[in-house]
Amino acid sequence: MALTKDRPGGSPRSGRPRFPAGNRTPSAPRALPRWPRVATPWLFLAPVLVLFGVFKFWPTLWGMYLSFFEVRPYLGNRWVGWDNFSTAFHDAALRSAVEHTVVDALVTVAASALLGFGLALLLEGPARHLRILRTAAFLPVVTAMVAVAELWNTILYPGGYGTLNSLLGHLGLGPEPFLSSPHSSLASVMLIQVWKSAPYDMVIFVAGLAGIDRQLYEAAAIDGAGAWHRLRHVTLPSLRPVTTIVLTLGIIRGLRVFTEIYVLTGGGPAGSTETIVTYTYKQGIQNNQLGMASAVSTVLFLVTVLLTCLTLWWRRRKEA
Amino acid sequence: MSAPRTSTTGSTRRRRALPMAALAITLVTASTALTACGGGSGGGSASGPLKVWVRGAGDSQKAYQMVFDGYTRKTGVKVQLFMTNTDFETKLNAAAAAHKLPDVVIDDGSQLGAFKSQGIITEVDQAKISGASQVSGAAWKSVADDQGKTYGVPFSAQANVLLVRSDWLKKVGMQPPKTWADLEKVAEAFTTQDPDGNGKNDTYGLAVPGSTQRGYLSWFWSNFLYQAGGNFLEPTGSGGFRSVIDSPQAVQAAQFLEKLYCTDKVVQPGALNNLTTDTNKAFQTGVAGMYLTGPYAYATMDATAVKGKYDVVAPPAGPKGTGSLAEGTTVYAMAGSKRAADFDALASYMVSPEAQKTGMTGVPTSTIVRLPINTTVDPATVHAGDPRWQVAQQVYAKSSTYEPVSAPGWETYRSDASESLNKMLSGCGDPGKTLASLDSQYRSLLKK
Repeated sequence: MALTKDRPGGSPRSGRPRFPAGNRTPSAPRALPRWPRVATPWLFLAPVLVLFGVFKFWPTLWGMYLSFFEVRPYLGNRWVGWDNFSTAFHDAALRSAVEHTVVDALVTVAASALLGFGLALLLEGPARHLRILRTAAFLPVVTAMVAVAELWNTILYPGGYGTLNSLLGHLGLGPEPFLSSPHSSLASVMLIQVWKSAPYDMVIFVAGLAGIDRQLYEAAAIDGAGAWHRLRHVTLPSLRPVTTIVLTLGIIRGLRVFTEIYVLTGGGPAGSTETIVTYTYKQGIQNNQLGMASAVSTVLFLVTVLLTCLTLWWRRRKEA
Repeated sequence: MSAPRTSTTGSTRRRRALPMAALAITLVTASTALTACGGGSGGGSASGPLKVWVRGAGDSQKAYQMVFDGYTRKTGVKVQLFMTNTDFETKLNAAAAAHKLPDVVIDDGSQLGAFKSQGIITEVDQAKISGASQVSGAAWKSVADDQGKTYGVPFSAQANVLLVRSDWLKKVGMQPPKTWADLEKVAEAFTTQDPDGNGKNDTYGLAVPGSTQRGYLSWFWSNFLYQAGGNFLEPTGSGGFRSVIDSPQAVQAAQFLEKLYCTDKVVQPGALNNLTTDTNKAFQTGVAGMYLTGPYAYATMDATAVKGKYDVVAPPAGPKGTGSLAEGTTVYAMAGSKRAADFDALASYMVSPEAQKTGMTGVPTSTIVRLPINTTVDPATVHAGDPRWQVAQQVYAKSSTYEPVSAPGWETYRSDASESLNKMLSGCGDPGKTLASLDSQYRSLLKK
């Protein structure tokens, strides 16, 4: 393809020798002295960074610090070294919570990405009816999770007269216990998560699809590529950066899944839907073990950062 | 974005920017997992209004305000009320960390052990509470710690009673259950004999809040435990506790619950995830016909279609006889407060017959005083013409037991019991083994 043709011609930035400060022309006002040039982006970022610093970064660091203490808000914290971490690592409940979280994250990330991609292919385009459909499909994302969870609670009611169960009843199936049996509860909450996050992935994919150069499709069609080949060799490779974003966001979302599970099952029955964050919540808020909860959160944080770095490394290797 | 960006510099820049953006997003989103929430106001000033925090919601705010207005009229001291149900303990933690605790906290009696081990409540001198002698002995015992010292003043008491659908009983031709065997029979009839007459097999015998959140299942099951003659912990006599959760009596109670759930299958579907609200709904909407709960449920139930369609009786007798879970609301004096005299005056007012009556009937939709802790107040007279309160009073006075709330960190024991029982029911596992492993959990907690 035309790789060099439409480079912005004559851009002052393309030439190596920069304009010396004294040689500034009226048409190049952005050639400022060095320090304001460096500072400008930071000045623009400053308000957000300050907010994040106060509400995100500082509490994060504080949480890490607290993981080495027995937290006693009033009496003063007591240093316990690595005790919180070792208690957490030896807790079978946390181990099974980790298993559930990993299964949940993998399945929901893959399923939402696939479904989101499928929806994006179907609903991409500028036509008005597609826009309406896209909006409709996006609704689960913007609906409050607590409301959504209550709705699903009714749909998945385990008795014979639950919405889904009465439908199954007409087909001569069921009633299924869904959320109320430890065998089907995790699958049920995963279904709801996919329902909620697939449209989110769809929107990112739609943006990605819109960014693909149409000429690539035309060229491929001229070369005799069918629909499948165009998808396989043009669409998918062009969407690689977008896919990275979708997967990264999905993994983070999966690892810290909380609201849907807390509202739907509270981690039960028999701990079958307990995830890392619901476990942390129980330890910290219900059992008042804030130090231990901080320790678990710290590990989760480090694992998330590590996984993200791995995803990025993998993508860069693929791109290279 | 739609214009093809094909310059090589653009693509490397983008390649570099994307990972950085993703990393930044990760750091930001992941960090929220660590972010704790806090808020609320508090403080220990020596003058001005007395700061009182109450765990509660809805109409109880009005009811508490009426009680506090009475106190202000008497003493001239104003009360600044803060009330919430959401994250109450978290907010209290934040206030404790800032050393700005309110002067008074009104919360469940079961918080005593937790509050005491956090060091946020102070001892109360009974001699300084006027009217202390009118407060029942059982109520005073419920605010005593493991050494017998008083940590708080009781405000309200209650014991669980059994709500039974009277119309369903008529339909199946049975009497309200008096024993465990009766309970099973009625529950089975409610489940199998279509008591609502809609031609569908959609009713159940017993409504059970079986979630592990906040220890619901353990809280419910403790009724059976006391009816069997068991307990969770027992005082050693030398200031400590020992675990008795694997006693034959406790095993019997666990077996009974499991029989109802796994063998007889008379419990409402989804019970193991149900909190109070869900369980209330099961009773209100005719899914389940019996419900063991506190007398505060009268107001909740009477606001729905089930009003007038249920009887209130004493919980069924188990192998040991009648038993019921007793609970209470306690007025705690908070650490760091400079208002000890005002606390004593407020507590003295709150146990007085006047305040107790206001709490019972001031706001009909919210009985913040369920059963009076003041022995000179007769609940049946106050709730004239409502014999259900008499039932509750009799159960409380004759056959109720408080959880061992003075055990340091009692919430953890309750939560562990809930987890174990929930696991046992969902897998229909062996009650003996379940309680044996719970016992070893209790032993290691007691060692701490």
